[in-house]
Amino acid sequence: MWSYLIRRLAYNIPVYFSILLLVMLALRVRDPVFGRLGKNATQEDITALRAELGLDRPFVYQYGDQVRQVVTFTFDEKSWDYDGQTVGEVLRRCIGPSLAITIPALILTSLLSISVSLVSAWFRGRTLDKSLVFVSVLGMSISFLVYIIFGQYFGAYRLNEYLGKDLFAIYYEPSASNATLGEFVTQVWPKYYLLPVMISVIVAMGYDTRFYRAVMVEESSRDYITTATAKGASHGKIMFVHMLKNALIPIITRVVITIPFLITGSFLLERYFGIPGMGNQLLMAVESGDFPIVQSFTAVFAAIYILSNLLTDVLYALVDPRVRLS
Amino acid sequence: MNFANVFARPGLFLTLSVLAVGIAGCGGDSETSSEVSSAEGSGSDSQSPEDGDGGGSSRPSRPSTSERDTPDHASDPVVVSEMTKQSAEEFEQGYKSRLASGQLKSARIPMRSDGPKSLDPIRGSTTYENQCASQTVETLLQYKYLKRPFEYEPLLLTELPQSEDGLTWHFTLKDDVFFHDNACFPGGKGRKITSADVIYSWKRMADIKGANSKVWWLMKDTVKGFDEYKDSQNAAAAFDYDAPVEGFEIVNDREFKVTLRQKSQSFMWKLCMFQTAVVAREAVEKYGERFGLTPVGTGPFIVKEGDWQQGLGIKFSRNPNYHEAYYPAEHMKSDEADDLHLAAGQRLPILDEVQVVFYKTDQPMWLEFKADKLDYAQVPAENFPEAFSKRTRKLKREMKNKGMKGYPVDLLDFIFRGFNMEDKVLGGNSEKAKYLRQAICSALDWDEQNEAFYNGINVIYDGVIPPGLPGYPQGGNSDKAYRGLDLERAKELMARAGYPDGKGMPTIDYYTSRAQNGQEQSEMISTQLSKIGINVQVHLLDFSQLIKKVDEKSAQFFSFAWSSDYPDGENNLALFYGPNEAPGSNHFNYKNAEYDKLYEQIVSMAPSPERDEIYEKMQSMLMEDCPFAGSMARTRFFVVTERMKNFKPVETFENWYKYVDVVK
Repeated sequence: MWSYLIRRLAYNIPVYFSILLLVMLALRVRDPVFGRLGKNATQEDITALRAELGLDRPFVYQYGDQVRQVVTFTFDEKSWDYDGQTVGEVLRRCIGPSLAITIPALILTSLLSISVSLVSAWFRGRTLDKSLVFVSVLGMSISFLVYIIFGQYFGAYRLNEYLGKDLFAIYYEPSASNATLGEFVTQVWPKYYLLPVMISVIVAMGYDTRFYRAVMVEESSRDYITTATAKGASHGKIMFVHMLKNALIPIITRVVITIPFLITGSFLLERYFGIPGMGNQLLMAVESGDFPIVQSFTAVFAAIYILSNLLTDVLYALVDPRVRLS
Repeated sequence: MNFANVFARPGLFLTLSVLAVGIAGCGGDSETSSEVSSAEGSGSDSQSPEDGDGGGSSRPSRPSTSERDTPDHASDPVVVSEMTKQSAEEFEQGYKSRLASGQLKSARIPMRSDGPKSLDPIRGSTTYENQCASQTVETLLQYKYLKRPFEYEPLLLTELPQSEDGLTWHFTLKDDVFFHDNACFPGGKGRKITSADVIYSWKRMADIKGANSKVWWLMKDTVKGFDEYKDSQNAAAAFDYDAPVEGFEIVNDREFKVTLRQKSQSFMWKLCMFQTAVVAREAVEKYGERFGLTPVGTGPFIVKEGDWQQGLGIKFSRNPNYHEAYYPAEHMKSDEADDLHLAAGQRLPILDEVQVVFYKTDQPMWLEFKADKLDYAQVPAENFPEAFSKRTRKLKREMKNKGMKGYPVDLLDFIFRGFNMEDKVLGGNSEKAKYLRQAICSALDWDEQNEAFYNGINVIYDGVIPPGLPGYPQGGNSDKAYRGLDLERAKELMARAGYPDGKGMPTIDYYTSRAQNGQEQSEMISTQLSKIGINVQVHLLDFSQLIKKVDEKSAQFFSFAWSSDYPDGENNLALFYGPNEAPGSNHFNYKNAEYDKLYEQIVSMAPSPERDEIYEKMQSMLMEDCPFAGSMARTRFFVVTERMKNFKPVETFENWYKYVDVVK
């Protein structure tokens, strides 16, 4: 297995550096200097800013610098937007809040949607199944933004008005960023993160339930299910032991493919609820043309993506004895 | 996008759902995008794609749903009330008792953006950086808080600068101004500011390479020998802040002289702009690139460590060593209706803390305001009908019943469509090209745009000088203007230009920002011009690409907005001054020797009827030559809670936090 992993990693190295190259080239298609200078720019200002941003250096040097940061894992390049702050500082500041939404959301969504899909598959064709499918399709058909707008209005504003106290915050309180870990877990997360997480779960449930239901339906018609039923195994045992175990391959694929996106956060949730996460930061960096942030984020994202793919292979081998990594 | 308003108008819900799908797919809130890439306000990087909410309009060409009074300062006299200055003992005693009881005076206010990126005045370019930096650093002069039209007064000076010849100005600093306490000073105690600090802070504006100054344009061609100093120091291996500048002379620790290259009226206004604020050299040298995170100035508030959560909010705490300053007695008669005169003589700052929260989208801001968590709000366009009557522009009764007050604030905006005067078809000084531009101006219906995209509440006016400034035409209308809609005249002019019914007219390339509703507005422009036979090819660009295109003189016809740096029409007339051609602020590349000569004349003229006459003459030349089509200005609408006192909403200057009070 190790030789397989090393070989796969080696194959991916040129792919990875090509991604960096393409991203850097794509960013430079549009010159960021004019937008950053705004009005009153003189040719001298344009030249000076280009030099300050390092854009006057040959592209090879710029690329080499980015590769160095990735290889040494330093990310010490200065952000173009934040005075004196390195890319590493900005990324570290933002990844935590994003994970505080995405990890609970992923776990909850996966658990709930797998459970619902098992029930749905078991009662395939009956009213319960049809109702669950209907709700899932309905959930998928409504925009994420509508959930956020509704959620914020009813889940925070209206509910708080009704209760006479702030159960869920409409918007993130800046001072909450200074909370200790204990305060974060006991006070900050329930007040500022739980509502966005619930919205995220509701949105993702529709997509995941439909997908997992299809997987479970396919599994439920296998011979081993008939055998288990004939042997008198209980419904619960058949569903959660036999069927679930055999459906793990597509489940793993879907869950692991989501892992890289955990660090991207959800820019819509973050913008509406004021969560200081990566999605919002990345959007700001793209809007303002903060190349170092965009490039470094892409580098981290691409690395996690490649590693996630490898992890998927390893997990396949672990859950399915028929799979051998060689 | 705001849900609160949808429930007030249920019929909108379906539309919202449909729109929401589209917006989500596009990846975000478009207004916020615009705010990020644009900037407005005094001293800000004020070139922007159009955005809009709020406003009022004067509309000569059709029955108006958006008429509102333009500022009428003549009927609103200045009043100077008697005041008793609050003693330092009483001021301190009040603070100590609030501190002891845990009842600090604290305001919570919104900022519709991601907030500032830097609080270093020479790095600041947006109105948000202006607003935040202005609380911690101070300029030599400031705007009078309640006086309209705007005037300046000393802030760090004992009196206004004195000059006998209008070239050499003598400045005297106050004797009781200290920098914030900070670890950069011996013993952590802020020291008294000196003349050398002022000169050092201004020299930083010239340090393009080392300090990454973005604001040299403010000092360019202003002070004798300063441009040469800037060139030589930036060319040298290291920037020498101690090297002399011919136009700067330090008399002693409190007095210094500045000699200008030429007489300049705008120089004093520039001394009100936060970019010229005084900072401590020790702090700049100690914190280096991170000085923008740890600003050490003389302002009424300080930012303590951990109180600025970037992208989220910033908390300003009272500067205990703030110099002696009082709430002004000079006010407008109309201010008395809002009790703005009652605090005269109160020691500043009145508040102990100001928590600014950054909102990237409008819905949470509006909901938090309605949930009583904010002391005031700018009314988002979507919520305008919820707060104000669209017909009367007055605050609705439900809001009044909660003790709220509504204020329209006129912005110094010049929103226009520009022609590249170097373009082969639209540009040039030939009669044919002029007729063509006049025809386009006549065919563009600004009122229709105003109705369709701004609730009909922006100000439509002739010329380039926005409402409220000397030079603004009476009622916003000038008989010299070719502003539409006048299709008959447009068609006639098209024929005179050699394109009867548009025959032979090549397609025009129109460049505008993709932010906001740029596409929809462009569609309307295309439709309007198609009525005189002109086809328009629309190019929607990112703001940076739009600027680049215009700076490179390759945009044939484009859309921009300009917010005045200071309240003088000269600032807008400079946009057409020949030597300012692109990439300078004359994006039109308009060149007219007579106009340039007049501009050079007004630069040094004090406000006077003679100067107003020249302004009018210059505007007439522009309206005849039509290097632009326009114009429009926005008005922001503010709703202020009953507990917030002394607040006179304004967007032209930003150091007003020190005057406001909150009574819980």
